[in-house]
Amino acid sequence: MTKMAQLMQWVDDRFPATKVWNEHLAEYYAPKNFNFWYFFGSLALLVLVNQILTGIWLTMNYTPTGEGAYASVEFIMRDVEWGWLLRYMHSTGASAFFAVVYLHMFRGLIYGSFRKPRELVWLFGMIIFVLLMAEAFMGYLLPWGNMSYWGAQVIINLFSAIPVYGADIVEWIRGDFLISGATLTRFFALHVVALPMALLLMVFLHIVALHKVGSNNPDGIEIKKYKDENGIPLDGIPFHPYYTVKDIVGVAGFLFIFCLIIFFAPEMGGFFLEPPNFTPADPLKTPAHIAPVWYFTPYYSILRAVPDQQLGVVAMAASLIVMFFLPWLDRAKVKSVRYKHWSFKLWVGLFVICFIILGYLGMKGPTPMRTLVAQICTVYYFAFFFLMPWWSTWGETKPVPERVTH
Amino acid sequence: MKKLLITISALMSFSLSAAEAGLTFPDDDLPVLSDDKLIVSQQRGMQVYMNNCMGCHALSFQRYKRTSTDLKIPENVMMENMVFGDEKIGELMTNNMIKEAAANWFGAAPPDLSLISRSRGTKWLYNYMRGFYIDDTRTYGVNNAVFKDVGMPHVLESMQGLQDKSEKVKGLENDIAYAQADLAAANKLLEEGGNAAEAKKTIKAAAKTIEDAEAELIKLSAAGEYFVIVKEGQLNPQEFDTAMADLVNFLDYIGEPIKRERKRLGVWVLLFILGFGILAYYMKKEYWKDIH
Repeated sequence: MTKMAQLMQWVDDRFPATKVWNEHLAEYYAPKNFNFWYFFGSLALLVLVNQILTGIWLTMNYTPTGEGAYASVEFIMRDVEWGWLLRYMHSTGASAFFAVVYLHMFRGLIYGSFRKPRELVWLFGMIIFVLLMAEAFMGYLLPWGNMSYWGAQVIINLFSAIPVYGADIVEWIRGDFLISGATLTRFFALHVVALPMALLLMVFLHIVALHKVGSNNPDGIEIKKYKDENGIPLDGIPFHPYYTVKDIVGVAGFLFIFCLIIFFAPEMGGFFLEPPNFTPADPLKTPAHIAPVWYFTPYYSILRAVPDQQLGVVAMAASLIVMFFLPWLDRAKVKSVRYKHWSFKLWVGLFVICFIILGYLGMKGPTPMRTLVAQICTVYYFAFFFLMPWWSTWGETKPVPERVTH
Repeated sequence: MKKLLITISALMSFSLSAAEAGLTFPDDDLPVLSDDKLIVSQQRGMQVYMNNCMGCHALSFQRYKRTSTDLKIPENVMMENMVFGDEKIGELMTNNMIKEAAANWFGAAPPDLSLISRSRGTKWLYNYMRGFYIDDTRTYGVNNAVFKDVGMPHVLESMQGLQDKSEKVKGLENDIAYAQADLAAANKLLEEGGNAAEAKKTIKAAAKTIEDAEAELIKLSAAGEYFVIVKEGQLNPQEFDTAMADLVNFLDYIGEPIKRERKRLGVWVLLFILGFGILAYYMKKEYWKDIH
């Protein structure tokens, strides 16, 4: 035995290092027919690491007080070596996180990755998504710009829709009678400590659950059905090295776009960094037009589409909650879009269009026409989910292959 | 609940008024300069800024030294010609204005302009600086066609002179005002159940008048005939426009001092990623050649 192998043996006798490595990488068998859509899981992990690392370094120079926050961000931008890069990586990373996660969820939707036995994978993923929204919302307050301030004002006030205790709850969240330094410090604590820990735990559970049941694939069939004499799926290949080297190609593609934005358009035309946020928070000066960052706008549109504010808040919450139930709403005989009836493509296609329209409208001020369009899209959004048990059984499905196809 | 209602209705009204305030004059684009010309423009812009603006508008997130390095202004030249107090080169570019007093003088304290180019945008600034015109109803005798009823006096009057809206513009604005009055009257008539056909005809005509007049205003502005100089300054209109472009280019630099460097660096980063991606692709191909 070589020295290295001896050392590894010493570790393995005390900690299952080789076992974990094998179970989750070298001998984790993933279907060999992953396509483009399967890049976004590993990319989400990459962005998470990016956010945590740049976040730690930003924290080293950021001042979480109402008096110091805004100036400390500019201090980072100007006086901290490479501070501007850390800040842009973090702010662009926030948007990239949502872009990647939305595409990751869309993948799950079209290939039925949430179906039995992967319900828990989906549920853990949904919890990650909600935590991510909270994380992004609280992070957005920290630069203490005027849009940070008024965006938080609008969103926190949503809780006042809760009957009886609404006003008290809002005060409790803010820690003050208005958004102030007290709100900033608690959001800072949640943003840099509590929520990242919760996120990491949920990502861990998401992956553990996935590796227990194995990955789905574009054919939506189980590769564990056909195994060789060693119990290895015939259509499976070890995640490492095959998918690690493949994902590196995806990483390069992602980084190209990511860096294109960071170095050439960090504000992304006002979508990633909004112009009003370059003026300090001012409780007396409302920005001319308050809109959440692009990744929240579809839900914001749903909120505004409902004429009654209280019900609007309920609708917005429902638009998120309903996604949790996806594994039990889809009653189709097959999982993947490839073998589903053509009507599935129509339903999903319209859903994507509605989601994008809602997102667009959420950035714009309402007009009667826009509100009407938002209402139609909102109705469709919910119809898509609520009627899924019915429409997912429509029509003939195509025969599903026994083995994965290319 | 009540707060929520207020917030949401505030949102709606604000975004509506933003949509209404669509037209601003002038509405010209900031001239685009090549990199080497830009830095000279920024140097000249700094001169304009330090001489005319710094007294009220600090740049308190930026340091003299950084500015001198980035704009290639030698430290001694900068200290002698552009730093008027006993500040040191490493200090932040602050001033001694007392905020409370200034708020008294102008209605609002002059804001720090470190990030103004990022919140307002360079185009807005370029037009704002060129949009002051005579208005006797205002405290300082001027108004601004981009930022209506702004508290700031026309600080650069000695450079630009004074301009007034041309007679044509005044006439068109009159037309618009009358048409708007007609519009309001017709709408009221409609609400009160008067002669609907008559009211609708008036509304249509008034809307047409406003649309035509606004189109004409835009044309005049584009042709540089929106304002006329009534009192000459030290600079002619072209020279003043150039000076304002310089000033805005300087503020654009101040808004994000790393801009030039990040773009330069970005090219190399992208080239690296491209090369890395090509290698990664062939590595993937090599590993996957046995997978069918």
